[in-house]
Amino acid sequence: MSFSLEAVSQRYITDSGEVVHALADTTLTVEKGSFVCVVGPSGCGKTTLLKILAGFLKPTGGIAAVDGEPIQGPSWQRGVVFQHANLYPWLTVRKNVELGLKFRNVAAAERRKIAEDCLALVGLAGFEDKKTYELSGGMQQRTQIARVLANDPEIILMDEPFGALDALTRERLQMDLLKISRERRKTIFFITHSVEEAVFLGDRVLVMSARPGRVVLDEPVRISETYGRILPGKELRSTPEFVELRDKIADQIYESQGDAAR
Amino acid sequence: MTINDSPSESTTTAPPDEHLGQSLKVASDHRHAVRMGRVRRTGLQLSVLMVFLAVWWLIARMELVNPLYLPSPGAVWDAFIQSNSCRAISETRTVCGEQNYYMWEHLIASLQRMAIGVGIAVILGPLAGFLMATVGWLNTALEPYLNFLRSLPPLGYIGLLIVWFGINDTSKNWLLFLAAFPPIVIATINGVRGVKQDSVHAALSMGANRWQVGTSVILPSALPEIIAGIRIATGFAWTCVVAAELNAGIPGIGGLAFTSGQQLQTALTIACIIVIGLAAVALDALIKYLGNVAVPWYGKA
Ligand SMILES: Nc1ncnc2c1ncn2[C@@H]1O[C@H](COP(=O)(O)OP(=O)(O)O)[C@@H](O)[C@H]1O
Ligand SMILES: [Mg+2]
Repeated sequence: MSFSLEAVSQRYITDSGEVVHALADTTLTVEKGSFVCVVGPSGCGKTTLLKILAGFLKPTGGIAAVDGEPIQGPSWQRGVVFQHANLYPWLTVRKNVELGLKFRNVAAAERRKIAEDCLALVGLAGFEDKKTYELSGGMQQRTQIARVLANDPEIILMDEPFGALDALTRERLQMDLLKISRERRKTIFFITHSVEEAVFLGDRVLVMSARPGRVVLDEPVRISETYGRILPGKELRSTPEFVELRDKIADQIYESQGDAAR
Repeated sequence: MTINDSPSESTTTAPPDEHLGQSLKVASDHRHAVRMGRVRRTGLQLSVLMVFLAVWWLIARMELVNPLYLPSPGAVWDAFIQSNSCRAISETRTVCGEQNYYMWEHLIASLQRMAIGVGIAVILGPLAGFLMATVGWLNTALEPYLNFLRSLPPLGYIGLLIVWFGINDTSKNWLLFLAAFPPIVIATINGVRGVKQDSVHAALSMGANRWQVGTSVILPSALPEIIAGIRIATGFAWTCVVAAELNAGIPGIGGLAFTSGQQLQTALTIACIIVIGLAAVALDALIKYLGNVAVPWYGKA
C-alpha cells in the first residue's frame, strides 16, 4: 500500500477559541515498502500528520488517501505505534498482542501462534504471561510493536516510539525494527526528533519546519546502496555519507527555526 | 546485537556481594520499621479505645449519669448477647432475640434490603453512566436531573415512596436504589470520560468496532472509577437503610436501634449502633477487597 497527501492542512481550535495553524498545505506521496522518517522541531505538526494518516483526525483541508482511496477512519491496515506504549494493563502481554486478531475474529489457536511468533521477533519470548505493568519501558514498547506486527498491517505509523528509552535500548530496537521492515516489506512512516535516528533508519527523510509545519526538505538516504551492503550500525554512523547527511538535515532544521547559530 | 537476545533492559545489573548484603539489610530494616510503625499505630488506636471504655465504665460505675441514659459497657455487652440468644421469661415461656428476631437476623434483614436496592443500582448504574457518557444528547438531556436527584437527601422523599409503594420492603428497596444509583452513574460517566484517547485510538487502529472498543477498552479503563463509585454508593445507602427503618423496620438493625430506644432499652440501642458501625466498616472493606481483586493493575499502570 502506498499513501498520499494532497494539500493536506490542519487548523485546531483551542478551548479558548484560538485558531492554531498546525499543518500547512502538505503534498506528499509515500511508496509501498519505503521507510520514511520525519524530523522537525517539537510542536511542528508531526503527530498531527500521523493522526491524519491513521484516520484519527480528519484534516481541515486537503485529502489524505491510501492507494487512491480517501482515508475515512482508522483501519487495521494502518497499524500505529504510539510514543507511550499504550498497553492494556488488564490484559497479559500475550492477550495484548492477540487483541487485534481477536477484534478481527481470528481463531484462538492461530492467534496464539501469531502472538508468540511476534513476541519472539521482538525478543520477548518467555514474557507472554507477564502483566504489562511488570515490564520495563523498553519491553512495553517492544510489546506494543509486537501487537502491531501481529495484525500484519501493510502500513505502520510510528510516533517517536523510542523517544523515551535509554540509548542502549533505543539502539537495540532500531536494529530490530530495521530487520523487521526488511523482512516483512512494510511501509513505515516513522516520526522522530532525532536526526541521527532518522538518517539511520529511513530510506527517505522528511524535514518539517516549525509551526505551521511544512515539509522543507525531502532527502533520499542511499548509504547502503553506495556501499552495496547493509552496514552494521556503528560502521554506518561513521561513514562520511552519514555524517554529511546528518549535518545537512540538522542545518535545515535550525534554519527553518530561524536560528542560524548552531 | 541480534533480535533473539534476551532483552537487555531485563537483566538488572547485579550488585557486588557486600552491596547486595547491604541492600538486603536496608530492605529488612525497612520492613522492620514498617511493621513497628504498624504495631505502634494499632497500639495507639487500641489505647484510645481502652481509655474510652475505661472512662465510660467509670462514669457508669460511679453512676454519674442515670444508667437509663448511659448503661455500662457490661450492660451493652449483655444486651448484645441476649439479643442473639434465647432466655426463659417464665416457667413455660422462652423468648428468643429481640422483637421476635435475633440481632443477627435484624442485621441480615437490613443487608438484604441493601443487596436488592444497591444490587440493582450496581447493575443499572454503570449501564446508564455508559450510555450517558457515550451518547451526547442523552447526557445533555439527563445530567441536570441526575444532579438534582443526587442532591436530594433520600430521607426527604421516603414519605413519597411509602405512599407509592407501601410501608414495607418495596419502598425501602426503592430508597436504597435511588440513593445508590446517582453516585454510580456519575462515577461511571467520569470513568468513561477519563479514558485515554490513545487507548481508544490504539484499539480502532487494530480493527476494533464500536462495540469492541466499548467492552474491551472503555469498560475496563473505567472500572476503577466505577468501583470507587460503588463504594461511595454503598456507604451512603447504608446510612439510609438504617434511617429508613424508622418506619416498619422490624426486622432490621436500624429498626431495632430505633424501637429499642423508644422502649428505653438503651443498652440494646447502643449495641445496635456499634453493630451498625462495624457492619459499615466491614461492607466497605469487602468492596475495597473485591475492587482490588477486579482491578489488580490499579495504580500500577
Ligand atoms: N487537539 C488540539 N487542539 C489544539 N491544538 C493542538 C491540538 N493538537 C495539537 N495542537 C497544536 O498543534 C501543534 C502541532 O502539534 P503536534 O502535531 O502534536 O506536534 P509535534 O508532534 O510535531 O510535536 C502544536 O502547537 C500543538 O499545540
Ligand atoms: Mg508529537
